[in-house]
Amino acid sequence: MPERGSNFGQTAGAGVPGLRAGAAPPGLRAGAAAPGGGSGSTPLLAVAGVSKRFRGLLAVSDASIDVHPGEIVALIGPNGAGKTTLLNLIAGSLAPDTGSVRFGGREMAGERADRVCAAGIGRTFQLVKPFADMSVLENAMVGGFRGTADRERARERAARALQSLDMWALRDRPASSLTLPDRKRLEVARALATEPTMLLLDEVMAGLRPTETDLMVAAFRKLNTEHGITILLIEHVMRAVMALAQRVYVLHHGQIIAQGTPQQVTRDPRVLESYLGTGAVQ
Amino acid sequence: MSAGRNLVEVFTKAPARSRTALLVLLAALLVLPLALDRYLLSVMILILYFAYVGQAWNIMMGFCGQLSIGHALFVGLGAYTAAALFQHFGVVPWIGMLAAVAVCVAMASVIGWLAFRFGIGGTYFALLTIAFAEFTRIGFDHFGWVGGSGGFFLRVVQQDRFDLLNLRGNPLMFYYLALGLAAFGFVVSAWLLRGRPGFYFRAIRDNEEAARAAGVDVFRYKMLAVQVSGGLTALAGVFFAFYYNNLFPEQIFGIGRSIEIILAPIIGGIGTLFGPILGAAVLTLASEGINEALSASGYEIPGVKQILYGLALGLAIMFMPHGIWPVIARRLGFGRGSDGDA
Repeated sequence: MPERGSNFGQTAGAGVPGLRAGAAPPGLRAGAAAPGGGSGSTPLLAVAGVSKRFRGLLAVSDASIDVHPGEIVALIGPNGAGKTTLLNLIAGSLAPDTGSVRFGGREMAGERADRVCAAGIGRTFQLVKPFADMSVLENAMVGGFRGTADRERARERAARALQSLDMWALRDRPASSLTLPDRKRLEVARALATEPTMLLLDEVMAGLRPTETDLMVAAFRKLNTEHGITILLIEHVMRAVMALAQRVYVLHHGQIIAQGTPQQVTRDPRVLESYLGTGAVQ
Repeated sequence: MSAGRNLVEVFTKAPARSRTALLVLLAALLVLPLALDRYLLSVMILILYFAYVGQAWNIMMGFCGQLSIGHALFVGLGAYTAAALFQHFGVVPWIGMLAAVAVCVAMASVIGWLAFRFGIGGTYFALLTIAFAEFTRIGFDHFGWVGGSGGFFLRVVQQDRFDLLNLRGNPLMFYYLALGLAAFGFVVSAWLLRGRPGFYFRAIRDNEEAARAAGVDVFRYKMLAVQVSGGLTALAGVFFAFYYNNLFPEQIFGIGRSIEIILAPIIGGIGTLFGPILGAAVLTLASEGINEALSASGYEIPGVKQILYGLALGLAIMFMPHGIWPVIARRLGFGRGSDGDA
């Protein structure tokens, strides 16, 4: 059911400005996100009041999120909360009904997905979409051709992306032969090969074993600190969210109901209620 | 630039085995006419012709996943354009060829724009290609300037002359023209596959949405695939017109012709470089072989040839659903490289 009236989520979002750790040295960023530690820099990604309605269902309702350069931000929420829809609105797979999506100061709402990619946003798909009849390296090379027709350049980018995700040994395998976790990594590699300034990751750690999750977390942290890639991730694996995210937005019934550090958010009664149901938190 | 380098690297970076095999094949095809009589020469011309149109169609379907079942449209338009320019205005076919390509690229653009602008894909796209081929056929049936349904005939001059400029000459000349055409089609395909277009085509074929997210302008590259395919097929039409000297809308635009075009790459191995060539050789030889065998055996009952041919096709597809080439390539150890070095 659409709930246009309820507005308490937004107050939480608007009330805590500058929640970022931009000033912290790169190595410390991940864990060191303290409230109020940020500067007033303009956000790299500014999503303001976007809504998306599918027939009767208001999948995303007046959602606003900011992601600052160099940040790792997580978007969490129960199943069906509208997380992937929101990601699709940012990535150009869907056009929002209302609201604006600014990336690097440029209005991108309703822009085509390939243009969004060209602007520097790489994304992965929750339901993986490998180029099944191409090899792992070729998959990544498709991304590597962004903005260049130079095959060698594309190959280098693809190689670097695969190496950063420990996939180089799999380069000759057809993508169709990969296991699901490997396909998820391939999603990331392909997005990474486009040399994005920002990565949108849609549940890339689902189905991974805890040790694999930790490896992936380490890989993202490295991409963030060493290459300055800003990351917005949707994730259910709280182990990953707690380890990676400096800030977390919580989406429920299409609305942002809370935001803050992982610690703040996981203690927020509204968040617990959204996951566990009304009355669970007394 | 990188395009030129890719063209060079089609040869230099190809795996040694493939390169050797290609050179041997090319050398064999160059000297082959010495050993062939007139009939076998005509069979070889057919093989090379189908290898070339198959190659052209393969760019659109095999690489980019856009199924055309109306490719005879481009053969016909190319043929009529060059033939009419030659017959009515005396334009030499080498110039007429350019006009033919232009006409076919324009037609391909119309079809592509209609389909891709309005999100027509899959079987509906295939139907659209059939529709265009059919109404063009019907249009040409009533197009008096090029003879309508009664046919359009080119001046036939003495067969033993060797007039390369006007493409008037003996079968040997047409053999080498067909060989040049097939080689050209192969090189263009290999070059496309090696560069960004090939990667983008295959990405679109495998998953459009993922391609878009990886930065592929899907509309533009689908258009490119259709335009290149249509433009290349136009050249086959020009060859057809000057080789056979007569054109009938019924024959050249017919859906049977379109099916003929797509059989070679399907049987040979869709999306591969050698598939169309291999498929053309196997199919043409099988067809002619069945003919010969039947006439030798004396059982020339009408329809038997078609039944046998259909049976062979069915069996080939049953046992080699990805075509003959992938099976052979595996046996011979022509491994595919990791990054499109076919």
